[in-house]
Amino acid sequence: MMRLLKQIWYYLDVSITCLRVAILQMMEYPSSMIGWLLSNPIQFLVGFATIQFVVSEFGSINGWDYGQLAFLYGLSVISHALSMIFFIQGWFMGWVVVEGEFDRLLTRPLSVIYQFFFMNVNIMGFTDLIPGVIVFAYGCCKISFHWTLSNAMLLLVLLIGATLIRGGIYILLGTTTFWTKSTTDFGPFTQEIFDKTTMYPLSMYPESMQFVLTYLIPIGWVSYYPAAAMMGVENSIVHSPGAVWLTLLVGIITMLVAAGVFHIGLKQYESAGN
Amino acid sequence: MKKTNIQAYIQVYRTRLIRSFHYKFEVYGNVLMQAIIMLAGTFFWRALFGSATKVQGVTVDMMLTYTVVSSMISILLTTNVERRITQSVMKGTIAIDMMRPINIFGTFLAEDLAGVTGLIFQNLIPVFVIGSLVAGLPKPASLASFWWFLLSLFMGFWINWLLAAVFGMIAFWAIDMDALIQVKKHLIRLLSGSIIPLWFFPDWLRSVLEYLPFAYLYQLPLNIYIGKYTTETLVKGLEVQLLWFVLLAVLFLFLQKRVTGKVMVQGG
Repeated sequence: MMRLLKQIWYYLDVSITCLRVAILQMMEYPSSMIGWLLSNPIQFLVGFATIQFVVSEFGSINGWDYGQLAFLYGLSVISHALSMIFFIQGWFMGWVVVEGEFDRLLTRPLSVIYQFFFMNVNIMGFTDLIPGVIVFAYGCCKISFHWTLSNAMLLLVLLIGATLIRGGIYILLGTTTFWTKSTTDFGPFTQEIFDKTTMYPLSMYPESMQFVLTYLIPIGWVSYYPAAAMMGVENSIVHSPGAVWLTLLVGIITMLVAAGVFHIGLKQYESAGN
Repeated sequence: MKKTNIQAYIQVYRTRLIRSFHYKFEVYGNVLMQAIIMLAGTFFWRALFGSATKVQGVTVDMMLTYTVVSSMISILLTTNVERRITQSVMKGTIAIDMMRPINIFGTFLAEDLAGVTGLIFQNLIPVFVIGSLVAGLPKPASLASFWWFLLSLFMGFWINWLLAAVFGMIAFWAIDMDALIQVKKHLIRLLSGSIIPLWFFPDWLRSVLEYLPFAYLYQLPLNIYIGKYTTETLVKGLEVQLLWFVLLAVLFLFLQKRVTGKVMVQGG
């Protein structure tokens, strides 16, 4: 027990140091920081504004009015931001594998997967958080969301689950490089898919696609099902707010599977060079 | 002298074109991504229109054509010039690049033209086929509108390239361009009508956007293609488009001189 506690403390200590280094690193390049501080909020805020223009013309998308859409969009962007902060490394695994960077991690007395993701906390991800919170707050006002303790709790559960699902999928995609040895950057590709499937109601897609995105690739659980559950929007699967816990469950399963595949992949790893 | 110059550019074009056929995996990835954006767009509009027949004078079929053609235009408007300038400045190779006996921007243009040529075969045709299968053959409103569309698209291409080149030159003053390039990308994507047509925007915003160059990359050619124009709006649109083309060309030539001077003074 003591050993475990000591271990956890050790990991925590390392995490804090890493976070400090990451912040210092960011401060070193103020122009780049300001650039991202502009770029990311613009992308999502203008993106949401254009959706709102359309929805105000048509009234709703598949029964979602724009307060509900803002709630959904906001949640999606917030979980995107969180996954960018903690799991962006998954996008660049190709380079790390090809350049033999894992050598360094393998020699250290810490879990490899932990090091890989938490040695490089991406503070810039916070710039995505701003537009997410703004749109989400707007949505909450529009649907007059009740800020009770249990609702706040559900939101927290939802966001943790959603972030784990996203992170798990990034890791799974990134892990393919252990076998393919290709340096493909999955980033833009992944983000495009997630944007299109988590910012709008999933119900606008054909049923076959909904099936895949619910049971095979759990993207539907990132925002659509939990948001529908919390707001009581009609859909085929979830009917009560408690369904938000399912997101957490799906998130944990996705992450466990991803970590498992990562460790199998790591055995394939043979460093760089001839 | 002049002749050998042109041959040199053709050589750059050929080399770049040959190279562009080597990245197989990236090509599949891009086609897939374009297809996803396009498919999501078609489902989005289908869900929105529902049972409505006409909104803002546009039917759902026109909107699907709009989406598919917009995806195809976005492939033609792929430029690399700002990245090339940024990298060249950051790595300090800009001085050497400028010493070469052919114009550096001419080289970038030749490369971009080659890149687009490659993309026509690698991305445009697949996207066209996928789009036609999902949303029906994207037919232009009439033969006349097709020819006007091509003219407008041609000017749009140049406006886009000049914008990118002028934008890339900022790198000579502000070194870190990654975020700025993203800002420009998003602004173009959202304010040009490439995803959501500008006629859905509030009036005040639309009237502002009609005077910015972005609308002339997507919105004008697309309006013409689906036949959402009158003789009056067509003429006015093409006039403003031509104006932007001339303005940007002048700005480009001016900045190019300034930039060259700057590098000469600082030595890269």
